[in-house]
Amino acid sequence: MEQTKRFYDFCIPYNKDDKIMRAILNELVELGYKTIAIDQSFDHSKKEAGKRGSEVFPEPHGIEHLRKEFADKLRILQRITILYVDANVAHAMSVSLNLRKFNLIAGQPKTDAALTHCCTAFNGDIITFDPAAGSRLLVQRKPYLIAVRRGIYFELKYAPAIADSNNRKDMIKVAQNYCTKGKSRNIIFSSGAAHEFQLRGPYDVANLAFIFGLSEDQGKNAIDRSCRQLFLRAASRRLGKTIMFVKGEGPIVFSDSSDDNHSEEEQADEMDALVTEAATEEDERENSQANKRLKVA
Amino acid sequence: MVRIKNRYIAVQIVPYAPVKSLRLNDHTLTKCLLQNIEKYYGVYGLGVLEHGFRVKYCNERTKIAIIRCLHRGQRYVSSILPLITLIGDVRAKFRTLYTGATIIQCNKFIIKHQRQFLDRMMGQVASAKERQDLFKRVMELDMDR
Repeated sequence: MEQTKRFYDFCIPYNKDDKIMRAILNELVELGYKTIAIDQSFDHSKKEAGKRGSEVFPEPHGIEHLRKEFADKLRILQRITILYVDANVAHAMSVSLNLRKFNLIAGQPKTDAALTHCCTAFNGDIITFDPAAGSRLLVQRKPYLIAVRRGIYFELKYAPAIADSNNRKDMIKVAQNYCTKGKSRNIIFSSGAAHEFQLRGPYDVANLAFIFGLSEDQGKNAIDRSCRQLFLRAASRRLGKTIMFVKGEGPIVFSDSSDDNHSEEEQADEMDALVTEAATEEDERENSQANKRLKVA
Repeated sequence: MVRIKNRYIAVQIVPYAPVKSLRLNDHTLTKCLLQNIEKYYGVYGLGVLEHGFRVKYCNERTKIAIIRCLHRGQRYVSSILPLITLIGDVRAKFRTLYTGATIIQCNKFIIKHQRQFLDRMMGQVASAKERQDLFKRVMELDMDR
């Protein structure tokens, strides 16, 4: 499967201003993060129901230029956070084509029913919560265990906790709730920082685990191994059942040692077509690592 | 043999706006840290930590400091470091570089860290004199406090 390096930060809010974005990304490189996800939030509850089958989810923002700029330093993923109130979102998600373009899908439930649905049936990878709304929503034990069994991860954002003491209290409350209900399994930390000053180094974040009621190991896994698991899960959701993952990389050289019955010209034509195909594929995937040609998942 | 176990935390102070040097000595740093410990852990935290808590080294040019605390209370300190945004009267954040059990190990790490920093910075400095200056400034380590 595709290689990713530690450390991970799966929530950098998207900002239209390239200057701010660059500052944040530079700071992330400086602090030692290797894999990050740029987050884009989408409020499903405001959309009126009715138009069935139509696309409700937005296209991912164009971040190709940033990808190109940080090609050898950061692996940049794209993530969408869906805010919703009821289970209707499941249908919209199943027919959406745009969702497939995102690497990660996160759900942010607004009501208790939505939270339970999110844990038991949501077709995503991350469950997050709104730091501004406070800690009204606390997960129950049953749904939490189901979510853990389904391999969904719960996200804790630390930037709001740094900025404001009320948020900090709520954050600790939510985190301690995960601790009491299910021993803080499947938790990841991410930043959610809108400014580079709110970012912290990976080891600092791991130390925050102490006040969030996680053990030292869990804290470290929350920025490293769990995130890798999450990435793999998200990839498998996008690809479906997969045994092998082959990636086109660089110019493909065809060797024709065998003697065919085809005439020379015909073969040349075929090869041209193949090469152009390969070239387009290469364009699409130029920002992935260069040395891995064939990976077996 | 029984001895008192300490932990030494090497931190870097990253100010909000880039400045040449911080007006900061170990006293202000100690005061700031203890204040924050009281804020987050109350009197209990202060009681656990205050004995044996000390800022051993604080370089305002390279913005690196070493904090000593008792082994038992180490997690209280390390867990609040990310939450601090105001040091003295400067807006700044901490970045944990290393946690060691002896000050010699910390020292070794800092020297290694500074070497890396020098390697990056040397290319940008033009004249030889400035280069020597920078070298002196970055590598100055007096641990006599």
